[in-house]
Amino acid sequence: MTDAASARVVAAPDLPDILPPVKARRGLAGFVVRHPTMAIGLAILAVMAFVAIFAPLLGTVDPTALAPAKRTRAPSADFWFGSDAFGRDIYSRVLYGARVSLLVGFAVAALASFAGLVIGLLSGYIRAVDGIVMRAMDGLMSIPPILLAVALMALTRASVGNVIMSITIAEIPRVARLVRGVVLSLREQPYVEAAITTGTTTPRIILKHILPNTIAPLTVQATYICGSAMIVESILSFIGAGTPPITPSWGNIMADGRALWQVKPYIIFFPAIFLSLTVLAVNLVGDGLRDALDPRMVKRL
Amino acid sequence: MSGYIFRRVLAMIPVMAIVALFVFSLLYIAPGDPAAVIAGDQASPQDVERIRQSLGLDRPFVVRFAEWAGSVLTGNLGTSMFTGLPVTELIKQRLEPTFSLMFVTLLLAILVGVPIGVVSAWKAGSWIDRLLMAVGVVGFSVPVFVVGYLLAYVFALELDWFPVQGYTPISNGLLPWLENLVLPAIALGFVYIALIARITRATMLEVLSQDYIRTARAKGLGERAVLFMHALKNAAVPIVTVIGIGVALLIGGAVVTESVFAIPGLGRLTIDAIVRRDYPVIQGVVLMFSFLYVLVNLAVDLIYTLLDPRIRY
Repeated sequence: MTDAASARVVAAPDLPDILPPVKARRGLAGFVVRHPTMAIGLAILAVMAFVAIFAPLLGTVDPTALAPAKRTRAPSADFWFGSDAFGRDIYSRVLYGARVSLLVGFAVAALASFAGLVIGLLSGYIRAVDGIVMRAMDGLMSIPPILLAVALMALTRASVGNVIMSITIAEIPRVARLVRGVVLSLREQPYVEAAITTGTTTPRIILKHILPNTIAPLTVQATYICGSAMIVESILSFIGAGTPPITPSWGNIMADGRALWQVKPYIIFFPAIFLSLTVLAVNLVGDGLRDALDPRMVKRL
Repeated sequence: MSGYIFRRVLAMIPVMAIVALFVFSLLYIAPGDPAAVIAGDQASPQDVERIRQSLGLDRPFVVRFAEWAGSVLTGNLGTSMFTGLPVTELIKQRLEPTFSLMFVTLLLAILVGVPIGVVSAWKAGSWIDRLLMAVGVVGFSVPVFVVGYLLAYVFALELDWFPVQGYTPISNGLLPWLENLVLPAIALGFVYIALIARITRATMLEVLSQDYIRTARAKGLGERAVLFMHALKNAAVPIVTVIGIGVALLIGGAVVTESVFAIPGLGRLTIDAIVRRDYPVIQGVVLMFSFLYVLVNLAVDLIYTLLDPRIRY
């Protein structure tokens, strides 16, 4: 009897032909099909990271070695990307430059996200802090970011660490604002009110109920910050307020090519290609993350 | 309305005060002792101390800030450590090229960015939309000086359509003035156009899905009227916001673009000041640009009320 009953219940054991089962592709291929922009971005980033890590093994010479006899050579078999006004090998400088740019990009993204997250959480959830902190952020935001970074760099010695600090400070207000906005909309949610009613402490509410919901928009923002930090680094180095001139960073190589750009455009061209490709890759990952996490965020960012 | 304007102007004061405090701290903590520099190498510690006292550098931070803020309010930004000229004078000399560049770029960005966004939203999902948005992502990824050099190389050096570098004052005629600004404006406007186009597309997409757009089409209005008269008008607030925010990009980018195209503006002044560590000049330029940025955003807030009479904070 039980056999007959269960047999009767299963009326349509197979799906009808008009609804073929959706083949969910798994693994790498599935990811590429579902998120093509993110896949392209990550692929380019992986190549850049490989170049940065294994720069010494990729046929490079010392990127700071001067060779006055071999100045401004055009790209050739000896100098793949040519040499600059001091005879330094641009191929080696560009490859080592990936280290500086990636380091600056990721360090700024991580530091600015963390600092912005803390400030945003506190000021969004604790009313007493909000007024003062947000006025300070308004003030910082009123200074155009590049000028703020330039002003901070003028105060300190040129070094990669100081460049990271300067760009981070210029980026923090935007992150803090974003997080605060999310927190303000979250604190009115019924589940947060329920947590308050059941006696959950404020730190616990922030950590357990608010923080996890800020991660998605924050991640997207962090990728954009990473891209913009690399561009700001190159701009700072380009105008002479960035990393020390001897450091092979993409901005520095382009700054070296500034005086010769009319006759030797390749000095600027090669680092420019690398920088633009890397930033493009980061932005593609950001766009992909944004679309994957929340399509409505297109407007907010 | 006048009450609203008054309140908005009032709200500017604390923001500017914070900016001023920050900019002053910049000079306060700047390395190097001005008294020691003035006294020279041969001076004894007593001499340096005397000069420090005569300059008032030994007084507390708050007193010095109040005095500095007072002189800034009367239009005195101090004197350049390098040239010995008043900073206000140096800035005044450089205003025209920078403002010309920013004005032309702003105009170009709005005239190009908004239509691109409208067309993209109208043809959402089509190849033209994808192409325009792809160009937009590239726009966000290329530093402004790279675009500048590329344009200068192709259109000035190779094709010889425009002058390579330099600036002609507007008093020498509108055409020569514009001729020199075309390439810098395109270079500087590239990111800005991408930004405006992106936000225009996003807001237009939202507006175009609303009922009154269907009504407008149903009563037989042409597509152009629907897009530009009905939809764009209601999408204007976010677009104007982003145009205001983007002025920060314009200011930062102008510094770099001027250096690429050898325009003798505020950007060049800033770069020279950085190289020479001329802190009063850096301070003056940062303060001036921040004030400009705050003013622009005030203007944006006031434009809101014109665009959307419902907005009254």
